[in-house]
This record gives sequence, C-alpha cells and structure tokens, in this order.
Amino acid sequence: MISFFRLLQALCLLLLVSLAAAEHTSNWAVLVSTSRFWFNYRHLANVLSLYRTVKRLGIPDSQIILMLPDDMACNPRNAFPGTVYSNADRAVDLYGDNIEVDYRGYEVTVENFIRLLTDRLDEDVPRSKRLGSDAGSNVLVYMTGHGGDQFLKFQDAEEIGAWDLADAFGQMWEKKRYHELLFMIDTCQANTMYTHFYSPNIVATGSSELDQSSYSHHADNDVGVAVIDRWTYYVLEFLETQVTSANSKLNLGDLFDSYDESKIHSQPGVRWDLFPGGEQEGRLRTVVDFFGNVQNVEVENANATEPGSLKEDLAEISRLAEKWRKRGEEYSAILGNSTQSQSENKKSSSVGLAPKKTVGPTKMAEDNSWGKRLYKTLRLLQKAKPAGCHTTEQKALLVPLICSRLVAQKHV
Amino acid sequence: MTAKSGDPVSPTADASTPSTPSKSTQRVPAPESPQAIQTRFRVIAAFWAVIIFLGFPIWWQTTSIYRAHLPIQEMVDWADGKTCRPVYPLEIQVVAPSLQLPESQHLLRTTQHTLDDLNEFAAHHLRLKLTNDTNGSPARAGNDGTDTSDSNSEDAPDVALTVHVRPEEGLLAPRSELQPHTTQLDVFYPPSQIPSPSTSNPPLSIFIAQELQRLYGEEKATIAHILSGETTGLDSASPELTESISRRLRRSMKYAETYHLSFSLFTPGSAPSSWDIEGAVQEYLAPLLDAFSPISNFTIDTQVQLYATFSPMTPAPVYDEVEAAWTLKKEDLSAFINAAEWPLNPSIGSGPTLNFILYVPDPSQSPMIVKENRASSWIVPQWGGVFLLNPPLAQGQTSNPVYLEQDSLQSAFKTFSHQLLTLLGTPSTPSSLPLRLQTLIRVRAASLLLSASSTMGSLARLTESLPSIPIPANVASSVSTTLSHLSATCSHLREGRFNAALASARVAENEAERSFFEKTMVGQVYFPDEHKVAVYLPLLGPIGVPLVVGLMKEVKRLVAAWKARKRV
Repeated sequence: MISFFRLLQALCLLLLVSLAAAEHTSNWAVLVSTSRFWFNYRHLANVLSLYRTVKRLGIPDSQIILMLPDDMACNPRNAFPGTVYSNADRAVDLYGDNIEVDYRGYEVTVENFIRLLTDRLDEDVPRSKRLGSDAGSNVLVYMTGHGGDQFLKFQDAEEIGAWDLADAFGQMWEKKRYHELLFMIDTCQANTMYTHFYSPNIVATGSSELDQSSYSHHADNDVGVAVIDRWTYYVLEFLETQVTSANSKLNLGDLFDSYDESKIHSQPGVRWDLFPGGEQEGRLRTVVDFFGNVQNVEVENANATEPGSLKEDLAEISRLAEKWRKRGEEYSAILGNSTQSQSENKKSSSVGLAPKKTVGPTKMAEDNSWGKRLYKTLRLLQKAKPAGCHTTEQKALLVPLICSRLVAQKHV
Repeated sequence: MTAKSGDPVSPTADASTPSTPSKSTQRVPAPESPQAIQTRFRVIAAFWAVIIFLGFPIWWQTTSIYRAHLPIQEMVDWADGKTCRPVYPLEIQVVAPSLQLPESQHLLRTTQHTLDDLNEFAAHHLRLKLTNDTNGSPARAGNDGTDTSDSNSEDAPDVALTVHVRPEEGLLAPRSELQPHTTQLDVFYPPSQIPSPSTSNPPLSIFIAQELQRLYGEEKATIAHILSGETTGLDSASPELTESISRRLRRSMKYAETYHLSFSLFTPGSAPSSWDIEGAVQEYLAPLLDAFSPISNFTIDTQVQLYATFSPMTPAPVYDEVEAAWTLKKEDLSAFINAAEWPLNPSIGSGPTLNFILYVPDPSQSPMIVKENRASSWIVPQWGGVFLLNPPLAQGQTSNPVYLEQDSLQSAFKTFSHQLLTLLGTPSTPSSLPLRLQTLIRVRAASLLLSASSTMGSLARLTESLPSIPIPANVASSVSTTLSHLSATCSHLREGRFNAALASARVAENEAERSFFEKTMVGQVYFPDEHKVAVYLPLLGPIGVPLVVGLMKEVKRLVAAWKARKRV
C-alpha cells in the first residue's frame, strides 16, 4: 500500500515536471509581408488582419514585429485613403488608429529579416525593432508574399531561400531564442519553404504544395484589387469566429482540421516531425499558445506569512527604509546642513539612478517668442500651398527660423 | 586532317601541320609566318597569365569568407562543464568572546565536522573561521552585507555570515536569532553547556551546524538546481522546495546589468492626474535599489495615463455584495492589462523593462479587489506587477482625488518593492535581506557562468555547422575575453570572492553575447550548387570556351613541334 502511494506520488511529480517543461513564459509574433506595389494590396491586408488578431488575443505591440514593405493606406490609388480592408464589406479598418509598424518600406529586406531572427543587429537598434524572445518564448512567424519552389521574394528585388530560413531558425534554437515556434506561410508553393527546417520544436504550416498556386479570396471592386488570400482568409475565419477569448481551449489540431481544400483551392500542408511527440503532441497545443499572450499571473496573498511572501518582504523593506533614513540623517549630521543638498545628490547617484533631468511639463504660455510668431506666420503662408510639399527655398528659410525658435525656448 | 574552306580556323590547322601538303585544289591562305605564330602564342600566354595571376587570386579573395580561428575545443569543453566545476566555499566567521581560545577552537572544529557530515552537495560548503576581532567585524559585515568586499583586501574571501556565540543565563537549550538587517547570527547558549575539549560531539556545535544548514538550505538547492541544468536538484530537497525554486526561476527576469523600471498610473477617468512619484520613489524604493547596487543598475521612468479603459475582451468587474467590493476573477487577470491600447512600450535603451502599474479604479467601481483572496496586487512573470489602489472616498464624493499624496502611495510602492525583489529572483529565505541579496549574487554568478559557457558552445557548434558564415577577428577576441573571464569567475568562486566572481561573470556574459550576436556574422543567402553553376556559366561560357580552345591548340602545336624536332 505504501509503495502504491509512493508510486502515485512519483507519478504526480512526473506530471508536474512535464507540465513545467511545456510551459512558456512569453509570446512573440513576427508578421511579414514581403511584397510591394498596389496590386499586392492583399498581402498587406493578410498581415494586418493577423496583426489585429494577435493583438486582440493579447500580444502587446512591444512583442509584435510587423514588417510592411509598402504603405497601401497612403497609396494614391487607394479610393479610401488612410484605410486598409481585408474584406469587401469594409467593416473593419485594419489600419485603424493604433498600429505600430516596426519595419517599413525598404527596411523590409532579407538581410534585416534574418538579422531580426538571429538578433545580429546594431547596438543602436531600439528594443521595439528587436525580437527579444528567450528560451521561454513561443514565437509565431507568419510570412506572405510571392514565392516559388523553396524561395520567397522580398520586394521584387531579392529572395530568401528555404535554406536561409532553416539556418536562421537553427541559430535561434542554438541560442535558445524560442521555446516553440509556429511557422505559417501563405504564398505559391508555400509548403516547400519549410522542407529544410532542422531545428526542433517547430510546427510549420503552409498554404500550398509544390507546383500549386495560392489564390486570392475575393476582390473589392471599389478598392479595385483582391483584398485577401484564400488560406489566410480561412485561417482568420477560424481565429475570429472560434477563438473568441484569450482563454480559448481550441488547439492547433482544430485549426489545421478546419482547412477545407475545396475552399482554399490548394493543398495546405503541416509539418509535425520537428515537434517532440510529433503530430499527437503538437495537435494538443492550444491556438492561444501561439496567437495569444499567456500570462500566468501570480496573485499575492496579503495574509500569507511564509518566507518571501508579501508581508515578510514588506517588513524587511521597511526596515531597510528605516536604516536608509537613519544613515541619511547621520550623514547630513556629520556634514552639517550646509552640504545637505550635496549629500542628497550623492545619495541619488549611489542608487544607480541615471542622473536624469526631470522632464516636467513645459509651459506653453512662455513660448510666445518672436521666433514662434514668425514661424506661425510662415506656416500660415505655407498652408496656401499644397500640403506636405516644401519648396527648397522655403526649407532654407525654415531652418534658421526653427533653430532660432529652439534657442529662444532654451533661454526661457 | 582537311581544312574546310572559308573556315577561319584552317590557317591554324595548316600551320600546325606544315609538312603535309594540302591536296585541296581550292586556294589556301599562305602559311603563317613564324612571327605570327609567335605573336599568337604570346597573346594566348598573356591572357592566361592574367587569368592565373590576377583573375584567379581576385576571384579567390573576393569569394572566400574570412573565418577567424576560434578555440573550438576549449569552447565546447566550457559548454560541457569539463573545464570548470563551480564551487561555493562560504566563509563564516565565528566570534566567541566569552570562550577560552582552546574551547572556541574545539567548538569550531566539531561544528565544522558536523557541517561536513550534514552537507550532501559538495560544491557548496561552509567554512568556519574563528576571529576575535569583535569590534571590527560587525561594523564591516553589518553595513549591508553586500558591500563587505569593498573593505576587504583583494584576495580575502567575502565573509558570508558572522556567528556570535554568547552565553545567556536561564536557557535550557541553545537558541539562535538572525539579525534581520545585517549578516549576523546570534547564538545564545546556557553557560552550563560550554563544550569541554573532551566531548567529541557537544550539543552546541550540533545546534550551530543545523542552524547554518537551515539558513543555507534554499540557496544550496537553488544552486544545485541551476548547475544541474534545471532538471533535477538536490535529492534531499523536498518537492515543494524544488517546485518553488523552479517557479521562481521561471518568473524572474533574466539577469541584466541595467533594468528599466517603468511606473505607470492608469485610471479610467480624469483623476487622479498627478502623484508624488518622486517622493515615493525616493522614500520607498531608493533603499532597495541601493541594496541592489552591487548586482544591477536601475533607471526609472514614470507616466500618468488618463482615460485608460479595459480592452473590450476583458470581462468587467462584478459587484460582490458580501465583500462590498468590485471583484475581478483570478483567471481574468491575465487580460487586465489592455496591451493593445495602454502605452507600455519597452524603454529605448538596452536592458529589459520592468513595468509597475498602479491602477486607480473609477469611483463607481471602487473598491476593486481580486475575488479569490481579496488581494489587490499581482505579479506578471517576467514582465512586472500590478497594484489596485482604491483611494478612500469621502461620503457622497463621486470623484477620485486629483493628486495622490506620498502617503497614499505607500502601500503601492512597498508592494512594488516586494514585486521587484521577486521579479529579480531574490530567494525567499533566510529572513535577512542582506543575506538574501548575497545569495542572489551567488545564484546570479552561477547562472551567468552557465549561460556564457553555453553561448560559447553554441558559437562553436554554429561555426562548425555553417561553413558559409564569416567569422570576423573581433569575434575571436571576444571569445578569448570570454574564456579568460570565465576562468577568472571560476577561480574567484573557488576562493570565495563572490562579488568579484559576479563582476567577471558579467563581463564574460556580455562578451559572449557580443561574439554570438556579432553584426557581420550573418550567414545570409545560402546558394545551392545549381545556383552557383547558373551564375557562373553565362559568365564563363563566352570567355572560357575561346580561351580553353586556344590553349589546347597551342599546346597541340607545341607538342607536334617538339615531336618533329625529336624525329629530326
């Protein structure tokens, strides 16, 4: 009987360990459109739709890398300026008022994409443009564009090969930059793109087999071009109608079972063999493991008293604060009151706070310098001209004026 | 061999076989003069000279990839843990002013003996040392516990703990007391129990050994857990302890030299619109950050966001009659932060950002608490913490105060301090903060050592597996810096200088990261062989064919001439 209990206990522990191993701590999404030009409107719409979905399911902008090679919203051919729609009903403006494009226009290159994945970037590249994933991160990589057998074109100028992509993922795995990775690609002959992957913990899915095209779903006659691709459309349909909350229990198996070849008009593929446990295990991963942001929040029990609990820490912190205050007093007592301000300065720098200037709200009223007034008049004059176009003479005039304005502000 | 009419090649054919008269009746060009043959030979030789001595080296130079030499074997050895077995000898000073020297030496010896018997994780052991310097050591070790190395000389190991052994009247059994704000353990014993040099196992030394063992139990388990690759820990550690350690490692941030702390005030209405954040940070947070200064630096920024609404997907808080409060369900807390709309961007500089959110609910939904345990704060692992601040509302008042005083921020900032401790991975025992921070230094040194070593291994494997990736010289120099700092870390650890070990482990980690993420090391654009053929063929076809044919003919002519000469 005792041995039975032991066994049970061991089993429970084993279960606990395996659960712990399956857990991830953050979610990242890399969403890439690779094509330029107005007639590729749908690729941009694909990516933006997916962007909207992952944001809806909770991945914050800081953990989404969005690469858009063109700006369809501001394209002169766009009949609905400032908007992008992925459906002819134009119910949802994907551009909205809150999108954060990390790589835009000519920044979307094969090199930058590989640098992003492997984090081989200049030191001055801001954090928002970096994939800061670690050994506990689940990463979603979605790509769309024009491709062929084992390649995907970037901006009609260059291409990324299936080997490059495989090597990039290999390096990510080597440096523990992902826990599990879901690779999705919507392009012609998409399934060839993931044939060379070799690093573990990857589930890959594509829209079409070798020698098959990926088709667009439908066109909006007013926009004048196709607005979304078929495979992406049905993936999104699943995500939007079935995965309604961040706590959804639907899994990848359900997502891939929802593929309907008669609707998609090509044969989507899934690659499981890199995933530990293969298809059986991989199917059980929930959709929000990749599309949502998992946060296992830990609520602090205000009444617990075990070591390391809130109460204990509070006691220690207040003791620390008390000591700190005493030391400060002693210090100022030693130095006398004359140097008190100095000691305070010293205190703050020893804390390791960067001696930052306090940036308070600037008073707008004090800004009524002559420079500003002149600038305003100039701006008024300028408004008569077509917006957004500076003639060179105007610019030349503007520069010293702006400078003088800045100087004036500084003196205030 | 017959020459074809009109073929421009025929003169060469004729020239190469001048001894056989042409039988053709057609007119043939005059045989070439030796001068012309010589010129042609020179032309072909010149072309080939250019190709061999200029073209080929240039092609070789421009297409070859510079790969600096890396000490692959050494790197792999570090990654496999063959080069260094990290050990943690902790020096513990014992002060026993009331005991005679032979007595105290005996006590020390027996205690050390018992400790060694109790210890089952050989890499982490406690070394007792007797000092009579009763005046100097408490002041030195007592400051913060963490800055002891400053006053110590370069080579002396850090003192982890000072044990004061004192007699106390009226005690039946020895008792101990850990001073909460210093690294000092007071052990009181009944004067009757003074260990005589004759007893082999006095109860006092057993007691001290057990106390020390208990104090360092969690640290030992944590280090064992990290060193064993986070799979297993100590055998003796209880499953609860193992679970709590792995949970803490999961939720704590990766080590960084600098952390950004971002404090944000979010409120759904227009008030409060300001807070005494500077005062609160100075008052409640600065002491803690000061205590952390040997480990990491911190920068702070703050923001106030008004009209911050929940995302439409977040379940709304529910009014609970029993609690007389608005409650949030625990499982919905993960959706509490409106990631899409609240501006919680990471900081511009390098280093991770820790977000601390102070949420002041609308008066119509105040007070707001967590349903399950009435808590008002929670931690988001590896991200930050949230605190729900319910400012007291006067009767009939329908708006929040416009300005939050420092006092009203006290509970929030104390909680943030606690969350910061947790997120930075501070262990929960022993109950003295200086000791916990010391433990953190040792734990961080262990994890940095491992992570830098494993990066070395990754780089070595990468170099082997991707022959097309360039390896610039600065990677090689970074690697050698890493390796030298790794071994410095290892020896610092061996000699018990943990602050120094952390410092060099930090350098090793930085250099290792720099070498792995070297910017120019992008093995971009893999060309399959058929692509290479496709690129070179159009280029080499038109140039290569005449050159090779010309060479062959010239060689043929020379061979024929040589044969003819030989026959003669």
